[in-house]
Amino acid sequence: MIKNQKKDLIRLAVQICFFALIILVSLNQWRSEQGLTPLLIGSPSLHAVCPFGGVVTIYTYFTEGAFIQKIHQSSFTLMWLIFSLTLLLGPVFCGWVCPFGTVEEFIGKIGRKIFKKRYNNFIPSVIDKPLRYLRYIILMLVVVNTAISGKLLFSNFDPYFALFKIWSSEVTRLSLLVLGLTLIGSLFVERPWCKYLCPYGALLGIFNFFRIVKLKRNEKTCINCKKCDRVCPMNIDISTSKTVTDHQCISCLLCTDEIACPVSNSLSFSLLERKNPTENSETDSGAKIKESISGGGK
Amino acid sequence: MKIKSIHILLAIIIIIGGGILLASELDLYNTTRVKSPRKTAEGIYDVIDMRGSHTLEEIEKYYQLSASSVIEAFGLRPETNPNLFQLKDMKEIFTPVELEEGEYIVETDTVKVFTSLYLKIPYVSDETFYLPEKTVNYLIENDKLTGEEKEYWQGHTFKLEYLDSKYLTASEFSKIVVEEAEGLIVTGRTTIQELLDYGITEEKFEEVTGFKIPDKKLVSFRDFIIDKGLEFGEVKDKFAE
Repeated sequence: MIKNQKKDLIRLAVQICFFALIILVSLNQWRSEQGLTPLLIGSPSLHAVCPFGGVVTIYTYFTEGAFIQKIHQSSFTLMWLIFSLTLLLGPVFCGWVCPFGTVEEFIGKIGRKIFKKRYNNFIPSVIDKPLRYLRYIILMLVVVNTAISGKLLFSNFDPYFALFKIWSSEVTRLSLLVLGLTLIGSLFVERPWCKYLCPYGALLGIFNFFRIVKLKRNEKTCINCKKCDRVCPMNIDISTSKTVTDHQCISCLLCTDEIACPVSNSLSFSLLERKNPTENSETDSGAKIKESISGGGK
Repeated sequence: MKIKSIHILLAIIIIIGGGILLASELDLYNTTRVKSPRKTAEGIYDVIDMRGSHTLEEIEKYYQLSASSVIEAFGLRPETNPNLFQLKDMKEIFTPVELEEGEYIVETDTVKVFTSLYLKIPYVSDETFYLPEKTVNYLIENDKLTGEEKEYWQGHTFKLEYLDSKYLTASEFSKIVVEEAEGLIVTGRTTIQELLDYGITEEKFEEVTGFKIPDKKLVSFRDFIIDKGLEFGEVKDKFAE
């Protein structure tokens, strides 16, 4: 059955909630430094609510039983919670929770309005593909150097920290530069930090290979319209896969038949292997749809 | 089973929200740090883990380096409160200096190098290659440098300058927590003892807060107020009235 594309309002609401939460954390930090009472949630630091802090301190924790500077137990606990969530559903943290990803996405909406179909397609595949692995190099560099130095080196170029603590003298010029470039880049490329540089996204991306809930495409009902490819913020070739295990998937659900895919039960997140008794009839309907819709290229 | 947005929303609420609640109950979700630095294999507190948030009193407690040594070696005001002065406060006192490698700020790493030399605890800094002249002289006067160290550090000094020229001479100084501009200003780090030292009477304290002065007067006034369920922002300004 063909249906119109829906808006992902639930994801948008979740993104806004987490974005507002981080703004509140940032505001409370500022209020605390000014001697004012924090509002609602106390004044945890930005590092305390970032699960990547748990990742960079993992070596120090297991070898010395301590966290590195500026990292708190809450980061470590959050790390395990996010790992659980990711093992189940893939990098939901990236697509739904991370406030920096949300900012990139919001700016991307402006870019999409300006450049229309050219948006998110500026970088040639030859350059784009290898660049996607850069974030793994950054992940290794960050984890190894943090283990050696015992310092939170990542905050020196972390655009998330720079954005949400921009008023602080702790923010380095380098991180402001990275932030500026990322925000400008978001006008041309969707989620440039997530795609090419984010070490935490790299780590969570690995879970895509063995996550419990998988993104599956029903080849028999798929009409090959490539709408899934076009809406994917991470430019994954969904229309050619049976099960999407790309390390860049952020579980945003934009491609699924809940939002973009026009054919019901053709592309969805499934917990168990699909055994659809009406597959034959769906094949028929898929075939009929294929006849009526011309597939579009990316 | 097909997973939809609503299921993901529920998973986020249950796993992240529920996980945080459960971890809080099990005391596994602290957003503040244990302040003690980690120890080396020899069982002494590691200089590398000295933090900007450590006060001079904590440095004394963990590293057995007296607060008066740091105060003297860095030319801080003699009445600096070791219980309140954090190492990172130094960057608000001293002017950044231009060195070969670029701008250098006297802060936590400077104290780490000083501590390492003073106490003979190994520490290799990747940012401090120069020390204030005053600090090097203090180390030499106290016979803390070997011949080789002395030769190196005497050739790698810079002159300390204060951001505020009145830092040493002013009767009160804003960076020593209680500010005196147009009356008393209570900040998040002001202790109850400091309020009393400023001249706040027991009666005034009770009138403003509705509580008697606690026995522990070195606790921050803000923590005391929050513990009592009051609004710090509202209460603190009443002292200035």
